[in-house]
Amino acid sequence: MTPTELSHLSITEASSGLRRKEFSPVELAQACLERIESIDGKLHSFITITADLALKQARNAEQELRVGIDKGPLHGIPIALKDLYATKNIRTTCHSAVLQDWVPDHDAATVTKLREAGTILLGKLGMHEFAFGGPSVDAPFPAVRNPWNTAHIPGGSSSGSGAALAAGLCLGSLGSDTGGSIRTPSSHCAVVGMKPTYGRVSRYGIVPLSWSLDHAGPMARNVEDCAILLQAIAGYDPKDPASANVPVPNLRAELKNGIKGLRVGVPRANWFNENKGTDSETESIFNDALKILEGLGAIVFEIDGQPFSLARKVNQTILTAEAYAYHEKRFQEAPQKFGSSVRRRMLEGAFLSAADYIAALRARTVLNEQIRANFSRVDVFATPTAPRPPETFEAMDPNEQNLRPSFTNPFNLTGLPAISLPCGFTKDNLPVGLQIVAQPFEESTAFRVAYAYERATEWHKRRPRFEKDP
Amino acid sequence: MAKEITLVELQTMSSRLGLRLSDEELEKLLPGVNRSHHQILELRELITDSIEPAAAFVASRTEKR
Repeated sequence: MTPTELSHLSITEASSGLRRKEFSPVELAQACLERIESIDGKLHSFITITADLALKQARNAEQELRVGIDKGPLHGIPIALKDLYATKNIRTTCHSAVLQDWVPDHDAATVTKLREAGTILLGKLGMHEFAFGGPSVDAPFPAVRNPWNTAHIPGGSSSGSGAALAAGLCLGSLGSDTGGSIRTPSSHCAVVGMKPTYGRVSRYGIVPLSWSLDHAGPMARNVEDCAILLQAIAGYDPKDPASANVPVPNLRAELKNGIKGLRVGVPRANWFNENKGTDSETESIFNDALKILEGLGAIVFEIDGQPFSLARKVNQTILTAEAYAYHEKRFQEAPQKFGSSVRRRMLEGAFLSAADYIAALRARTVLNEQIRANFSRVDVFATPTAPRPPETFEAMDPNEQNLRPSFTNPFNLTGLPAISLPCGFTKDNLPVGLQIVAQPFEESTAFRVAYAYERATEWHKRRPRFEKDP
Repeated sequence: MAKEITLVELQTMSSRLGLRLSDEELEKLLPGVNRSHHQILELRELITDSIEPAAAFVASRTEKR
């Protein structure tokens, strides 16, 4: 197997190969590190590469597996983390000059869990500065590029996670999602990303953007790999005040159970056509995906999108108020350290009153009830993940997000689990994602639908090509 | 329609908040601030007196981080 083939293996394939001794954890880590060295100069997905640590961890994993110490499916698997997960003794920047030299003295709870599961840490990944705004063009690190076409944005804010996975630089990653930051780059880079239920995964040790909307979650190249990663990081954590003491089921157990009779609600009316509406090619690809779900036995029907449409405004108000509150002292002391995009958007939160913020929290109560009421007649919602394919850096419009529907942020507001997976490509070979949303703590249902769709299609097998690829 | 916030009002608010922002930056912020305020007015139409905020305080939770 060539290094390029090794670095593109799924987690399940790599896990099997390691146990069959077809290759070693060191060879697997080296293959990823060589590919990072070879092509990441064009993508800028990594901010920090932890090559020495990775090879040390890989040698340990090799020794452990040799003597029969098997920590499970992630043992020996190379991963990389969005650079807002605190990593002990490893710089954690949030892609910002503000934290450019911050070296945490602790690990995020999820980082500890992944280390205990035997993963190999390749490094820390680029993102939108503090997980907000847009691509960070004036940050101390270059903006991440889309592997499918480097003139295009990879989506954010977990940009590096999406790009690195699509390009075969790592086998798994963690992102964070406050308004779509796991799912949008998953859609734009043709990988799989799961925003779990609020409270399912500990946020301890993740630099906050908005306490009540932030979710930690996995990203991978296929649905089963995503479930494996979530299994490893999910569970109650007393260090996170929002953590839910809810048992975590075996997330892979139901993957293959099929979706015959499952009710899929599509909230199209009063939402998909909001303002400039949904890109027609994106909606057409999404409609094709619905036909595949129907072909697999699902019952697909339309529901009212009005409460989903209103969620963006509530989400934005809460997010900007909480984000500014977290960074207030920094804005008072050294606002120039923030990049222009994040500074402009966070400062809007400074001018909201307490009554404005509470009004948004009260509207959240209303919309949460209205959106969840649909679960009396549907099992899941389906939408495109993004309203349009990734635009070019050149054509990027910071106001664009207010001019099109946001398909992701209603599910931060409601805390519902939501997965994005590839469902097609435009005529310009840019990825389009399908989003499946389930009831609280029903990640296994979202995984089951996504897995059934993935098995019926070939989109997840496509790879972006690079000049240096054999 | 609510009254638009002016640049002068934004300068005053900014100063009271302890922010040292240039007039040029405040001018750039102004459209977004006004858009936020219009959004809040729309949100207020959703809520009635009986609606409580979606915020939780649990008195028994005392874990320290």
